[in-house]
Amino acid sequence: MRVEYINPFVESAYNVLKEVLNCQVNRGELYLKSTSTPVLGVAALVGLAGDVEGRILFDMSKETAIKVASVMNGEELKELDDLAKATITELANMITAQAVTKLHDLGFKFDLTPPAIFTGDNMEVTTAEVEALIVPMVIPYGKVEINVAIRERL
Amino acid sequence: MPNTIEKTLLMDQEKLPVKQIKQDFKMVTFSLGGKDYGIDIMKVKEIAKFSQFTYVPNTPPFVRGVYNLRGEIISIIDLRIFFHLPVEKRKDGVENGLILRLEDYIIGVIVDSIDKVVGIASEDIQPPHPIFGDINVKYISGVVEYKGTLYLILDVEKLFGKEEQTVQKAHTLEALEGSLREKPGLGSTVKESVLVGQTEKDFIRETLKTFKSFHVTPVNEKWLEERYEQWRAERGKQGRDLQIKSVEEADEFLRTFYSPYTDMVWPEDFANSFLELIQEFSGKVFSVWNPGCGKGYETYSMAALFLSKFPDAILKVWAMDNDLLAISTAPNLVLPPENIPSYLLPYTIKGKQGIGITSQLKDRIFFEYHDILHVNVVPECDLILARDLVSFLSPADQGKILEEFYDKLKPSGILILGNHEEPIETGKWVRISNKSFSAYRKNIE
Repeated sequence: MRVEYINPFVESAYNVLKEVLNCQVNRGELYLKSTSTPVLGVAALVGLAGDVEGRILFDMSKETAIKVASVMNGEELKELDDLAKATITELANMITAQAVTKLHDLGFKFDLTPPAIFTGDNMEVTTAEVEALIVPMVIPYGKVEINVAIRERL
Repeated sequence: MPNTIEKTLLMDQEKLPVKQIKQDFKMVTFSLGGKDYGIDIMKVKEIAKFSQFTYVPNTPPFVRGVYNLRGEIISIIDLRIFFHLPVEKRKDGVENGLILRLEDYIIGVIVDSIDKVVGIASEDIQPPHPIFGDINVKYISGVVEYKGTLYLILDVEKLFGKEEQTVQKAHTLEALEGSLREKPGLGSTVKESVLVGQTEKDFIRETLKTFKSFHVTPVNEKWLEERYEQWRAERGKQGRDLQIKSVEEADEFLRTFYSPYTDMVWPEDFANSFLELIQEFSGKVFSVWNPGCGKGYETYSMAALFLSKFPDAILKVWAMDNDLLAISTAPNLVLPPENIPSYLLPYTIKGKQGIGITSQLKDRIFFEYHDILHVNVVPECDLILARDLVSFLSPADQGKILEEFYDKLKPSGILILGNHEEPIETGKWVRISNKSFSAYRKNIE
């Protein structure tokens, strides 16, 4: 993945999480992966097109998702209902949009697709032809992994 | 020295519990690899500190050399290497040791540290248990507890005794060899020295792999052979053994491996050798793949040079590295103001931080954070610049990546490897190296 893309994603993930959850956010070590990645339980996926092609996946456990959605809504949610799902979708949208805005300022043109959310156990995601950059973010409610798989159009 | 030993002895005696007052066996205790051992004091001539050994070539790795003990020349054996235990490198070069008086001769041994002399009752010594890990059980004459610590008593006669010696040596060599392939029949006298050299080389291969993930294969074997002889001479002069025991020593060994000007801008004469390689170019787009580009010095040098010769060409460079820190600095690389070569000058610009690269050049390069073992998305290339990269992959990956280089290169394309590297399947490549670069073309026949 182009070096210029990394920082906007890391920064916007950090800023948005910190702002909406109002808590301590720690960034883990970045790394690359090309094999299939297990999905923790709840995954929000945003597609990217334009100068690049690919997608971003926001991945967290169900418990983390419920807690995050509770904090963002200011009320205790018991299960991953429609409201909770919509909240996680919104979070994914916010982070991606902010990153894309930053990239636009740097002269890269990206378009987004509306986020889709996947839930379930024992899921895996594979993007065979693109290696993924993993940005782990640790918050008090658990771990949110941001999995960015984009490549240049040749 | 005997005085101090007796003194310790006396002190320890005073503190002995009543049960052990009847003591008829005294041993010098010491530590090796964090465990405690003892040697019968009757075998110990003295406790010593060794500082200057004379290295003796063609000896097994555990022989550290010979030592002049007040006019008497004795051999020094490193017990830690002998038993394959980790060796702590000492800064001052002074090693703790014991001088042993065996039936036939005197020998010195190196240990981690000498502890004290303890007296015990010989009836308290128990036979060794066969599952003792680090040291072959046949060299242990017994185990004894003293003040809560278990000491393994080494049988030095068995270790170094004359009758056993040849057997022991052969045995140790066998153990050292490990994965060593069988050598075809050589004369028996020659065999041993070859075997020792081979074992040392194998050790060096192993340690380079461990410390630097540098894999010795046909890609770099020629260099290793030469370097090994140099290393032997260097280390011999310094009175040190051949083994590589730390990352620093591995770096030291690899010092001559790296290609020149890897982490800096290429100077003019070096740059001219690069242009010699690219004599003609007739197409319109010139695509370059530069895996392992690091901070991008070679990428910028190469790109600027190419454009200085072919200003009308469209240059596209895919430069990648899996070191996030290095590759992150590449797009905004700041150059030291002095010694900027003339070919690069038109592409530099004075910024707030210092001399930077203009976007005119930068826009032709994609810097990517990428692991070459993952899917490589690059078009067919006119040039693949991959110096000192292949050697740091596992042997299987080396083959795979070289194969990929072959596939991704245009029929007229050029592959540049590290100065001490060559492709494994030499039949598929034609060597076109010059004095500064190790370069290859596809052999299309």
